[in-house]
Amino acid sequence: MLAPACEEVSAADPCGHEIQRHDGACWAFDISEARDLIEAASSGDRPQGWSKALLARLRVVEANANAVHLFGSYAGRERMLGQSILEFWPIEGWHVLPGLIVGAVTGQPRSRARKLRVKSLVLKDPVLTAWMSDDPALAQTLFLAIFAEPVDERSFWALRASQERYNNLIHHLPFAFLEVDSRAQADIFEDLRRKGLKDVGAYLDTNPADIQRSCQIVRITDVNKSAVELFGARHVSELVGPVDPLFAASPESARRVMINHFEGSRSYSEVMKLRTLDGRLLDVSMSVIYPTRPEQLDITLIMLEDITERLRTEAQLRQLQSDYTRAARISMLGELASSIAHEVNQPLSAIRTYAETSLRWLSREEPNLQKVTQLTARISDNALHAGEIVHRIRGMTTRQVPRSASLDLNEVVDEALHFVRHEIETRSIDLSVRLGRELPPIWGDRVQLQQVVVNLLLNAVQAIHSGSESSGSIELTTDLDERGAVTLNIRDDGPGVAEGDLDRVFQSFFTTKDEGMGIGLAICQSIIAAHGGAIGASNWPGGGARFWFSLPAHR
Amino acid sequence: MSNTPLIAVVDDDEAVRDALLSLLQVEGLRAIGYPSAGGFLIDFATKTFSCLITDVRMPRMGGLDLQCCLISMGSSIPVIFVTSAEDEATLAQATAAGAAGFFNKPLATAEFLQCLRGVLGLEDG
Repeated sequence: MLAPACEEVSAADPCGHEIQRHDGACWAFDISEARDLIEAASSGDRPQGWSKALLARLRVVEANANAVHLFGSYAGRERMLGQSILEFWPIEGWHVLPGLIVGAVTGQPRSRARKLRVKSLVLKDPVLTAWMSDDPALAQTLFLAIFAEPVDERSFWALRASQERYNNLIHHLPFAFLEVDSRAQADIFEDLRRKGLKDVGAYLDTNPADIQRSCQIVRITDVNKSAVELFGARHVSELVGPVDPLFAASPESARRVMINHFEGSRSYSEVMKLRTLDGRLLDVSMSVIYPTRPEQLDITLIMLEDITERLRTEAQLRQLQSDYTRAARISMLGELASSIAHEVNQPLSAIRTYAETSLRWLSREEPNLQKVTQLTARISDNALHAGEIVHRIRGMTTRQVPRSASLDLNEVVDEALHFVRHEIETRSIDLSVRLGRELPPIWGDRVQLQQVVVNLLLNAVQAIHSGSESSGSIELTTDLDERGAVTLNIRDDGPGVAEGDLDRVFQSFFTTKDEGMGIGLAICQSIIAAHGGAIGASNWPGGGARFWFSLPAHR
Repeated sequence: MSNTPLIAVVDDDEAVRDALLSLLQVEGLRAIGYPSAGGFLIDFATKTFSCLITDVRMPRMGGLDLQCCLISMGSSIPVIFVTSAEDEATLAQATAAGAAGFFNKPLATAEFLQCLRGVLGLEDG
């Protein structure tokens, strides 16, 4: 039931002897500095602020193991000694102490203990006891103890002891841990909640100074070795203190941590920027584990993981993927080069002829200005059309970071058809397009999805071309599948995919064509996978291949 | 007007076809445009055309196929090809089949009109 005493106590140390006799959390205070205040209070002289002033003058001279466990677990016994009680006693308990102390110091007989039942958030039915010893050597020593019922099969003290073991564990973990005392904040929140505050986000928006104040009153009480290293500090003590250096580079994070605290979340995580003490700017993943009432743990734990390197590697990987995808896109456009040249040449050709015709109308003895006006308007239209084609191609070739947006798959298909329509028509392939009505939007990168559609269509065209002399047909449909995903099907009547190859068509460098590199379908698969979708290929019983993909609806 | 020659323009691209028709109009020539070879062939049965101006690459039936088709029907209508970036093989095939002219787009207007007038037996200018 009891935490073992920290050390053997010599009988020659009466103070140590006294506090070790008790099961509860027990402190010994030197009251010499406070005696005049105590006596004045005893005779009714209680000026404003007397109680806090009294508490401030009590110095801890000894604390037993349970006292250390109860309030000092962050700092240990040494940190507690010589301190004022104000340093560790919860604010909510301040008001009960002075009266109790005055009674114990001035009461008779001196050894009679004064007891007080107090409400506490961390202990069940705790009793606060204050007494003076009869030992003349201890005339300036006040003893204070908290006795509490065990809260479950393990006593509170044992729980605290196990927490100490847990702290030891944390100190050696390879993650940066900060122990944070947010009790002062919890009290403020409690007060706000009692006043009926519901939307703390809105409250903080109108009271931004509260965030700064919280960063001051919420304190880091201990950090582990990894945290010292992460922050580029030399010693734990550089980090112990107000929590605000943690949020120096991302003040918004402090706000979100507070909101989650107020709303009673058990934990909260986000990726944020961290400015270290030696001035580096890191990307860290921060996880906050809040103390959850009515459980006993009263410590907020913050875990930090430096993910700067990981994010950089991921960014490089994304860039590589995007470059690779773009390379495949350019290679794909290369296969369409003659079609694209034709597409651009058509409006240019019309423009030339319209212009020549206009000049001929103008060079007549009576220039036909009406005709010229009409032709000039058509020139303008065709120039615009040519510009659109160039714009579409540029969209496919420029190096840009993939941008996700809400898209209509049917529009993506429409745009993709512009690239392949001529290829399909000149090969006398029948294309039938049936676009599903009122499809939900999808979420993705327009250019990459266009690339997939063009690639699958081109694949179908080439399959038909390789198959037979007769002109073929391609059927493109979009639809909503039974699971609510948006799907696209492209079916051709070419020779189909050899059964043994069906599993391999999406592998890189798999190709049955002489000119292809075999990256087209592999890229399609990686694009669809990156969009959270699925892609597949199968053969039709009647001949021909079917390629499909589906993408989750974005609502 | 009935002895004014009638020209057929077959091109699936609306702008190109319309531009050609406007050019022929300013030159005082009568012409009808068709978006496909099939549409032209239907009219060919009932109308007398003095010349066919056609694109090479078109859906379903291309210009070369149309030329072959006309020849096999016993027609000797002069055919002028107007096409974008075609290869030597296409030019050779068209010429071998007796093409009256072969022009790349964008059209060199003066040369094209000169060729057309020659085909129609009209005075230059």
